[in-house]
Amino acid sequence: MSQITYKVSRFDGEKSYTQEYSFDHQPGKTILWGLIKIKEELDPTLTFTAACRSAVCGACSVRVNGQAMLACETPLDDVIRRFGAVLTVEPLGNFTVIRDLVIDWAPKAERLADSRVWLIPKDEFSAETGCRQKAADFKKIDVQAGCILCGSCASECNKLSANNKDFLEPFTYAKVWKFVADTRDKADGERIKAILDKGLWKCLHCVECTTQCPKGLSPGDDIARLRQTSIKMGYRDNHGARHAFAFLKDIEDTGRLNEMKLSLRSDGIIGSMRKFPLALRLLRRGKLNPFHFPGKVKGHDQIKTILKAVRESEK
Amino acid sequence: MKYAFFPGCVLEGASKENYIATTAVAKVLGIELVEIPGWTCCGASHLQDIDDLTSTAVNARNIALAEQMELPLLTVCNTCTLMLRKAKAKLDDGQKDKVNTLLTKAGIEYKGTSEITHLLWAIVRDYGLENLKGKVKRPLTGLTVAAYYGCHILRPPAVMNFEDHANPESLENVIRALGAEPVDFAYKLKCCGFHSTYTANEDMINITGATCQSAVQAGADCIVTPCPLCQMSLDMNQPEGQAAVGCSKEMPVLHLAQLIGLALGLKPEELALDMHIAGINQLKIKVS
Repeated sequence: MSQITYKVSRFDGEKSYTQEYSFDHQPGKTILWGLIKIKEELDPTLTFTAACRSAVCGACSVRVNGQAMLACETPLDDVIRRFGAVLTVEPLGNFTVIRDLVIDWAPKAERLADSRVWLIPKDEFSAETGCRQKAADFKKIDVQAGCILCGSCASECNKLSANNKDFLEPFTYAKVWKFVADTRDKADGERIKAILDKGLWKCLHCVECTTQCPKGLSPGDDIARLRQTSIKMGYRDNHGARHAFAFLKDIEDTGRLNEMKLSLRSDGIIGSMRKFPLALRLLRRGKLNPFHFPGKVKGHDQIKTILKAVRESEK
Repeated sequence: MKYAFFPGCVLEGASKENYIATTAVAKVLGIELVEIPGWTCCGASHLQDIDDLTSTAVNARNIALAEQMELPLLTVCNTCTLMLRKAKAKLDDGQKDKVNTLLTKAGIEYKGTSEITHLLWAIVRDYGLENLKGKVKRPLTGLTVAAYYGCHILRPPAVMNFEDHANPESLENVIRALGAEPVDFAYKLKCCGFHSTYTANEDMINITGATCQSAVQAGADCIVTPCPLCQMSLDMNQPEGQAAVGCSKEMPVLHLAQLIGLALGLKPEELALDMHIAGINQLKIKVS
């Protein structure tokens, strides 16, 4: 029987170290099986969280070879096939570690609560009549309702790793979108206004959240949906919205990007001037040509027609 | 081998050197790149923030133009690849008729007959590493290269699905085929932050510094990336990035086509290496 090794990141409250555990591989088992085996047979001090063993509670998410995954539902055979028989097992990234693989959810829960991710029902509902919605309306938020708060999306989020002060965990944006899209909720305006101040346009587009989610959510797409809604509500005078519109304008005007205009439209004149050292650097290497004005592409009239047709279809 | 070539906007702008290098390398390898007449900006991962359908329709037109040429569409930019593949996935998954009612007004139809690929994938899957090896005139022996994939050639895996997003090896395999040695580094699969140039600029600068420093610490002579946006971000922001992390060694950042070109025996000027900001002189000495 072949051996499998877990190289586990351990933390005893003071010092961090890596400990290796090797045991016999058995086909058809999960990552969690290995952790339980270690705790029961090799080292009772190894600490981790797990509860439902059915991919419902979200408690057992860990990082295996740099990828967040639910320990209870991820087949060991799959990860061995991907990464080999020596696996690195760490606590989720972008969380404070309490002990070994156990992370601190308290600060995350506070941040989540700050975004009021609960239903604020329309006035037509009451305790007596309840808060029902049509199946078709629930279907619109069905995917987001599947979030089990396992933290996998946050673990690999590049923006949180760079700076978590001005950005929230991706699951929070997914949940905020869920309530904005919920036909029973009356607080869309307040939610959008609040989330704009909580990093809505600061996502780096790394797509890790969508990639890591074990329940098929795409927080990155929900961020785009929140941005679309904010624009529809008139919040256009910010770097993110101006930048997005700069692309649309160039596509409509000529078909292709004009980098000089992009900078001016996204950053304004003063903002662009602050990037003067960068612009100079690019000019000197011939990478920036202020006199490059792309002409209209062949078939530019098609673009105009298509964009007009899209607008009419969405009226 | 023949492709409908979608260069993307940056190859006409701040990443001209990648256009020069890509066309030069394609010529030597005998890969025919026919530029798509009338291609437009893909929306650069920003257009969907205004409207999903606009993003899908604009790229449906781009793909339809390649279909008219009866060729697979090839890009050299990760984000273009993602935007085009995302549109194609939506079109093939139920939006085709709806979008075609819009395209019809412009006299175009999306059929779904052209695949969308990237230069890296085309080299590995279509051209073949053995064939590439056969074309190497000046093996890059002794050159250590940090393979930096960039997000949008790997993620989301449901749309990109060329290789395991967590454990990719195509870029390292190309590096080996060229005679160079790939070095592992901590930031290999991380994000360069380019798309947040205007919204999270400080983060992007810090990421640039940390990424290049990580490659320095791994002993890399250069970074290579299949994405011109990653290249641009890691190269042009490097002075600020270095200052942010306190790293004094410059890290050259090459486009995939430039690394291949060097091994094919093309001269640095034929690959426009001098258009880069960071550390190109040290790299030229190393490969000369």
